[in-house]
Amino acid sequence: METIVPAILNCLTLISILILFGLGMAIIFGMMGVINLAHGEFMTIGAFTLTFLQSIGGSYWLALVLAPFVGIFFGLLLEGLVIRHLYTRPVGTILATWGISLIIQKVLEMIFGSGIQAVFNPFKGAVSLFGIVLPAYRLFLVGFASAVIACCFLVFRRSRFGVDLRAVIQNRDMAEVLGIHAKRTYRLAFALGAALAALGGVLVAPIVTVYATVGVTFLTKAFFVVIVGGTGTIAGVAVGGAVIGFLETFFNYTMHPSLARALVLILAVIIFRFRPQGLVRS
Amino acid sequence: MIPNRIRILFQQERLSPREKGFLSAVGVLMVLIGVYPLWGDSYGLSVVRDSLILSIFALSLDFLWGKTDLLCFGHSTFFGTGAYAMALLTLKYQTSSVVGILAALVIASSVALLAGYFLIYAGVRRQYFVIVTLALCMIAQQIVISLPGFTGGDAGLIDIPPLAFSFFSKDVTFNDDSLYFLALGLSAATFLGLWFFTRGNYGKILKSILYNETRAQTFGHNTSFHLLIAFVISAMLAGLSGAIYTVTQGIVTPDLIGPVLATEVVVWVAVGGRGTLLGPMIGCFLVVRMRQEISSISTTLWPLVMGIAFVLMVFVFPDGIVTIARWTGIHRLFRGAEGRHIT
Repeated sequence: METIVPAILNCLTLISILILFGLGMAIIFGMMGVINLAHGEFMTIGAFTLTFLQSIGGSYWLALVLAPFVGIFFGLLLEGLVIRHLYTRPVGTILATWGISLIIQKVLEMIFGSGIQAVFNPFKGAVSLFGIVLPAYRLFLVGFASAVIACCFLVFRRSRFGVDLRAVIQNRDMAEVLGIHAKRTYRLAFALGAALAALGGVLVAPIVTVYATVGVTFLTKAFFVVIVGGTGTIAGVAVGGAVIGFLETFFNYTMHPSLARALVLILAVIIFRFRPQGLVRS
Repeated sequence: MIPNRIRILFQQERLSPREKGFLSAVGVLMVLIGVYPLWGDSYGLSVVRDSLILSIFALSLDFLWGKTDLLCFGHSTFFGTGAYAMALLTLKYQTSSVVGILAALVIASSVALLAGYFLIYAGVRRQYFVIVTLALCMIAQQIVISLPGFTGGDAGLIDIPPLAFSFFSKDVTFNDDSLYFLALGLSAATFLGLWFFTRGNYGKILKSILYNETRAQTFGHNTSFHLLIAFVISAMLAGLSGAIYTVTQGIVTPDLIGPVLATEVVVWVAVGGRGTLLGPMIGCFLVVRMRQEISSISTTLWPLVMGIAFVLMVFVFPDGIVTIARWTGIHRLFRGAEGRHIT
């Protein structure tokens, strides 16, 4: 019991981060059939917002509030400058966003240095729950991320924007015929995805080492979350996140971390072979 | 005798005057590179030699991307597999170079066969293929790093024995000069082989798949099968390039199998003009040279330059140097080498 519960908590931490990060990616993928390879940098930007604010004396909570707006700003910028002009060129989008991702990494390194950035954990210490000692921050992370994911689910199912978004994903032309401004929906969804990734960056920063290329490690994982889970539904991303997060945590306890990562990716490719639409069909 | 059905696949039309001109231009270029050792210094020679070996890698990707529209964004998987197979066999098992190279070819193409079967037959194409192959080289790199006892892990392997052959019970070890000509011969052979291969009837099948896969299927071609063959050939050439490259360097590191090299080779091809075969070889020379220049100023600058190159090649130069040639009108000389936009 003493080892299983912390392992489950670690697993849940990874899963909630993957879902937060994968949501934006899945929505873009569902709408345009394109993976934004610069999505990892939104997460890095979120984490750097935190380290920058803390270095000038700001608090963790301020960063948690500000980071989504920073994410929205950069999301709108990237959409307006690059993505919008490549809607009909999916391979071009991948190449261009890969380039953007390299540029952002290097610019961040030039401004903040290539070393590891200092992060101060807002919750020091542990909480004792039913006699088992658990790190307080991870409990907060899982709780907060679950709340955000639940909000996204509500927006997706209940709000006008959510309906528009689902309509555009299902059939863009038909949605436009019915008066939905598809391009504006794209733009909003892209910015929202960037905000979620930046939020994920702040949440994950205290438990990982933060440096300019930290987003890349999450990019591949999140990509497999999306292809395993299928695109266009929040339930799909949640299932994908759970599968990838569970596999990675499980293998990490039993073998070399690099081999674990490789094995997870291989399994994801095999799942992709037999369920190309993902585990949850939209 | 070769069965008639196979022979028909490689049958060639007569060379047009323009194609003859193009081939003569390539021939002059090869001769120029061939006489370069007469005045070049040893540093210059090693730069040209490495570029020639890497240009085989560029050719292998251009064959796949330019002639079948499958962009493998993790082509270093096969380059690195070839490099590691060669290094491990000759270093740890003391096999001869020939066995090492053959094993590199077999292992690289087997990996491609397995991965290609899973992906291509599952209908993974276009942007999905790009992404999954990018993941493929990340998987390969993780595996290499996770086995430090076998592959040397992050540090890689050093002291890889030089290329040597047993020829009529006489041992021949390649020195710098003979390696230079081996590199020139291999890259010239690869270029001509691929040029004639894609020009023949089999190339026409690939071209029909490139333009419209569904229509090619309607005409009775098993398109997945042909794409798989192209993928395996491409991987084999990449493995050859990797095997030769690692013996000339004497070291092998996980960089050779990772996404940095995989994406750089895409820039070589794009700079040279996708689908032209000759262009990517030139692109490889230009970019490798540029990397050396820029890295001598600052090592962190290079990824930034690569990033800008990716954005430029999508927005400004979709045909690489062919775009520039088109502005100036030089492209009329090279009609034999038709290129394709980056979509």
